[in-house]
Amino acid sequence: MTTVSIPSIPLKRATLEAFGSLRGVALRIVSDARFYQILFLSVFLLYGIAVLGWDVDAWKFVLTVGTCFLTQLFFTAATSKDYYSLLSAAISSLSLCLMLKAGEAGVIALAAFLSIAEKFVLRINGKHFFNPTNFGICLAILLTGQAWISPGQWGNNGFLLLLIGSLGLIVLVKVKRFDTAAAFLFTYIGLLSFRHIVYQGWPVDFLFHQLQSGTLLLFTFFMITDPVSTPSHPWARIGWAAAVGALAFVLQSYYFVNGSPLWALFFLSPFTLLLDKLFKHSNFKWKQQ
Amino acid sequence: METTMKRFFLLAALALGMQPAYSFCGFYVAKADAKLFNTTTQVIIARSGQHSTITMSSDFKGDVKDFAMVVPVPKVLQRDDIRVVERVLFDKLDAYSGPRLVEYWDENPCYTRMMDAISMNMVPQAAEKSSKREMAFAEDEIKTVRIEAKYTVGEYDILILSAEESGGLERWLLRNGYKIPEGARDVLEPYIKSNMKFFVVKVNIEELDKSGSQLLRPLQVSFDSPKFMLPIRLGMANSHGKQDMIVYLLTPNGRVETVNYRTVKIPSDRQIPEFIKEDFGDFYVDVYKTACKREGSNNIFLEYAWNVSGNAGVKCDPCTGTPPVITDLQEAGASWLSANGNWNGMTGRAFFTRLHVTYDREHFPQDLVFQETPNRENFQARYIITHAATGPLKCEEAKNYLANLKQRRTLELRELASLTGRDIGKYYEYLNKVQGYVPGEESDPIPLPEITPEKIKRVTQPKLAVVPDTITESQAEEAVVPVTGDSGNIDQAKFINDETDNQPVQEAGRSNSYLVLSASILISALLLLLRSRRT
Repeated sequence: MTTVSIPSIPLKRATLEAFGSLRGVALRIVSDARFYQILFLSVFLLYGIAVLGWDVDAWKFVLTVGTCFLTQLFFTAATSKDYYSLLSAAISSLSLCLMLKAGEAGVIALAAFLSIAEKFVLRINGKHFFNPTNFGICLAILLTGQAWISPGQWGNNGFLLLLIGSLGLIVLVKVKRFDTAAAFLFTYIGLLSFRHIVYQGWPVDFLFHQLQSGTLLLFTFFMITDPVSTPSHPWARIGWAAAVGALAFVLQSYYFVNGSPLWALFFLSPFTLLLDKLFKHSNFKWKQQ
Repeated sequence: METTMKRFFLLAALALGMQPAYSFCGFYVAKADAKLFNTTTQVIIARSGQHSTITMSSDFKGDVKDFAMVVPVPKVLQRDDIRVVERVLFDKLDAYSGPRLVEYWDENPCYTRMMDAISMNMVPQAAEKSSKREMAFAEDEIKTVRIEAKYTVGEYDILILSAEESGGLERWLLRNGYKIPEGARDVLEPYIKSNMKFFVVKVNIEELDKSGSQLLRPLQVSFDSPKFMLPIRLGMANSHGKQDMIVYLLTPNGRVETVNYRTVKIPSDRQIPEFIKEDFGDFYVDVYKTACKREGSNNIFLEYAWNVSGNAGVKCDPCTGTPPVITDLQEAGASWLSANGNWNGMTGRAFFTRLHVTYDREHFPQDLVFQETPNRENFQARYIITHAATGPLKCEEAKNYLANLKQRRTLELRELASLTGRDIGKYYEYLNKVQGYVPGEESDPIPLPEITPEKIKRVTQPKLAVVPDTITESQAEEAVVPVTGDSGNIDQAKFINDETDNQPVQEAGRSNSYLVLSASILISALLLLLRSRRT
């Protein structure tokens, strides 16, 4: 009678092994800081759709996510074969869904493709120096003229400040990039305050209104703090983030550029290479935190 | 020198180097019993590249002699940059772009012929009101204020002032008979520090008398500036009340949205009860107020967006007023368009956006900043009523029809509740009232359960997100659209799908984007290949 269970032993073992490896993958994903980014970006997207009533075209989301994943798969297969990097593709595609506006499939596919391809093609000394989403959005706007961003789409309210800020902080703590966010915000908001509040005499709520912009917060906590594409040395990074803040201020206040932080980051990203050369420091690698 | 104090309007206007806008400073406080839109201020902004033309229509209601306004402008305007336009331009644009009601008629299931028609009304918009009064400008400048230019344009005397500090400007205005609201100094300061000039307007009584009219015409200014914005802060100098403004924007490429506030679409394409036809104006006011409440007080609402280019086949659908023709658009400042002899009358692209904002000091700490997007998707605030079938309803088919009708009307009432926040319990009779069928009569063919007010209330909790759009595509396509607006231009009212309109533009963009995409893929592949060879 006891022999009945014998044939089931190998089966059990196989099941356990399969379960074990699945569990391993799941554990690795959950312990990766990118997992939190994906989770939080998804929350923002749901908030935008359900609460703010954004226009939703499901096909645009599918196209964005599909193009990002396919491009990532292709390049990963051709290079490192580290398939956990698909997590990065998920972040890029979610960020694109959150920020990029376009009416046509070609423009959306272009932005998604450029976001991912940039990481593999524009790579020097093992490091890519543009934030993928930022690169995809800016180039899609510049090259086609048929894409845009809507800095006003989030509205301005304290709840958003709390939501994006606190969730963003969790990610920053995990990837240890609080310095970048602080340096950028300090410079950008500091200069804006000086010009608008101290010099021009606007009331203080002018500044609060600016601070509560969802687009600015998203940029601060989820874009400029990208640990991979920013300068590796802490001081270089702080200086560079401050420069992005200063340029964003100038573009906004003197050239009336909308969404100026995005453009400032785009134009200053190549300087990451120079800074990395001047200030030696080991490159960031995504790993279990 | 005029010594009497004049009542003073501050028209907020252009912010630095940008297009100006205006708004009145604190003379209107919304009252619960007043129709919100009765005091709407209207502005037209036409902008292409860096060139802006802004037309401002005042809703001034007092004595014309009391009229004065101050608008910050980005630079000293020349005489040719300023003109007056006829008020009818605003009436046209308003009539064309206002929210609309569309009617459908059910077919009597007991008849074979179809009774099908549609008409529409538009929301009555703000009536024109304005007035004027003579105000002489004093010449005794205070040192820090300089008169840069002085013109008489139509019935207006205009000064362009520059100031070094707000205290000086305030004193100058006071000394010259302007009664400045308290707090004006603080709101003037940021504009002075931004190097803006002040466009100061009063009424020239002689000129006004010559014109034989007591109505003030809208003023239009043009200038080049990199900034695309509308200063509203000046208008809030002495008021904590709400002010209402409609902005019509004409641009070449696509829809305009605000950059520093959320632009929200007003609910549209909703199926509402038949009786709304009686008070559509009030209904829309409630819709707007409810939307403001639901979305928050710091948003801008999109009420209309349409491609009005020469090559756009359908300029509205349905039309509530004659679509603007080339002369209207040029009058409004769309100087990039040119007339031609073709059927469409114009060469060049133009897109019309209508934004509606109710602002106050608390919720709008910054001036409105706009951006033009490549988005050429059309949008309109449209509400649909479907009339029940008329005639006797005693055949077998009527059973199903009446059951469906009751269900539909329940949904319509729910829609009404969610759109307007009204207590719909009082409308319960609507569910059971159909001409040709009276419940309770002996001849009643269908013993449908009565719906009581309590029951409706239970099923009609306002949950906007849950209520589906009840009009279907097929219904929409069946529609024929005559017009009952003041235009009477029925020829314009053809029902054509919006998308035909967008095709040329989208095609152009598409070919471009696919080309760039292909090139990017090629370049990436090449670079990757080079990299792999090197390593």
